[in-house]
Amino acid sequence: MAILEVKNICKSFGRNHVLRGIDFTLEQGEVLSIIGSSGSGKTTLLRCLNSLEFADEGQIVVSGETIFDAAVNKRPSEAQLRQKRLHFGLVFQNFNLFPQYSVLDNVTLAPRLLKKDSREAIEKYALELIDSVGLKDKVNSYPCELSGGQQQRVAIARALAMKPNILCFDEPTSALDPELTGEVLKVIRSLADRNMTMIIVTHEMAFAHDVSDKIIFMDGGVIAEQGAPDILDHPKSERLQAFLTSF
Amino acid sequence: MNVFFEQFPVVFQALNVGFLQTLKLFGITLLGALPLGLVISFGSMSKFKPLSAVVRTLVWIIRGTPLMLQLLIIFYFPGLVFGKQLWGGGEGGRFFASAIAFIINYACYFSEIYRGGIQGVPHGQQEAGLVLGLSRSQIFFKVTLLQMIKRIVPPMSNEIITLVKDTSLARIIALQEVIWAGQAFMKGSQGISGAIWPLFFTGVYYLAFSGILTLLFGWIEKKLSYFKA
Repeated sequence: MAILEVKNICKSFGRNHVLRGIDFTLEQGEVLSIIGSSGSGKTTLLRCLNSLEFADEGQIVVSGETIFDAAVNKRPSEAQLRQKRLHFGLVFQNFNLFPQYSVLDNVTLAPRLLKKDSREAIEKYALELIDSVGLKDKVNSYPCELSGGQQQRVAIARALAMKPNILCFDEPTSALDPELTGEVLKVIRSLADRNMTMIIVTHEMAFAHDVSDKIIFMDGGVIAEQGAPDILDHPKSERLQAFLTSF
Repeated sequence: MNVFFEQFPVVFQALNVGFLQTLKLFGITLLGALPLGLVISFGSMSKFKPLSAVVRTLVWIIRGTPLMLQLLIIFYFPGLVFGKQLWGGGEGGRFFASAIAFIINYACYFSEIYRGGIQGVPHGQQEAGLVLGLSRSQIFFKVTLLQMIKRIVPPMSNEIITLVKDTSLARIIALQEVIWAGQAFMKGSQGISGAIWPLFFTGVYYLAFSGILTLLFGWIEKKLSYFKA
């Protein structure tokens, strides 16, 4: 069974139809990269998956459980929403670390507040995660003392601390200088090696080609082309060809 | 000069009593207006339009009229309309009416500072909390609040230092605060009359107290300087 099934997701903001029927499935351990020009609906799709926006039409099914169905009129309660959100993790373009907390506290805050485990166990796991993103010596630093690349790696550790089934990245390197991009991509790559199921919205074509099992190219709110990474080498649609030549 | 030294102990005693009343009004106003301001700020940001319209109108009226006028209206209005002194007589009644007027007035100013502080925290902070599964109240208390406090300390300290001096307005309804106590020696009190220096001397009290507050707020700002919001 697919870990994620997205069926006919449509979303409009007023008259602006951002998503016009998105369908795809994702298997456990797969890495999906979503590419496309700005305004093609990539970020909105991620926000729908994370229940930050609600689609006007369509369904989202995680491991066989329907977590969103636009046909059901009743809005879920806040408690239900919070449960649904926990299937997904989201790493933001601008990191959005909590500035008043140290690296360790950023990673442990949510598990502690939601009482996922004992305090010791949460802290131990957080330290492992921080180590795995290469920031062992920054455990007690504050976000303002870190570079952008380091902040983004903390954000990844923070998302992983909630043990999401699917980790989403919204242009994780777009706010970084080119020399800092590599260290973040390396961390994402190591997650892929450990079979983390991921959805990555990115403009890093070479990286998407290397790390993904599947690529979706979005254009004008629809999936214009999807397939194995080699669609980047041999694009079939004219729109993807045009998009790739712009790089 | 001899007269000054003769008068000083009597005046000092009287001014201390007056300043205690000043401090009481200052303290009660903060105690009431700090939380009430937060409630008003939530009201003015409410998505329920009629509520936010009413609250914003109230804030407009309170910020748009002099505090001295509000003191007079709150003190005299109930008596004029209901024919009954609502606040009780004497110094206690005057203090009660003053406290009500000051709390409402300062809550409205504070509410705008809170609103700026809350809206100044980037929306991404809220979303980061949401995707981690936190509830709205957890996000407010554990994520947003301290960032908001850091933002509002400078405007808040400004407003609170203004409050120290504004308490003197309560003299208009004869609250016996420090200026009132100083002025009493012009007309004549405890065997001293025609002395204007006690009135001038009250400035020392205000200066000393706002000096302490300035140090306190400087310390808070420094305490919160370990992070950038």
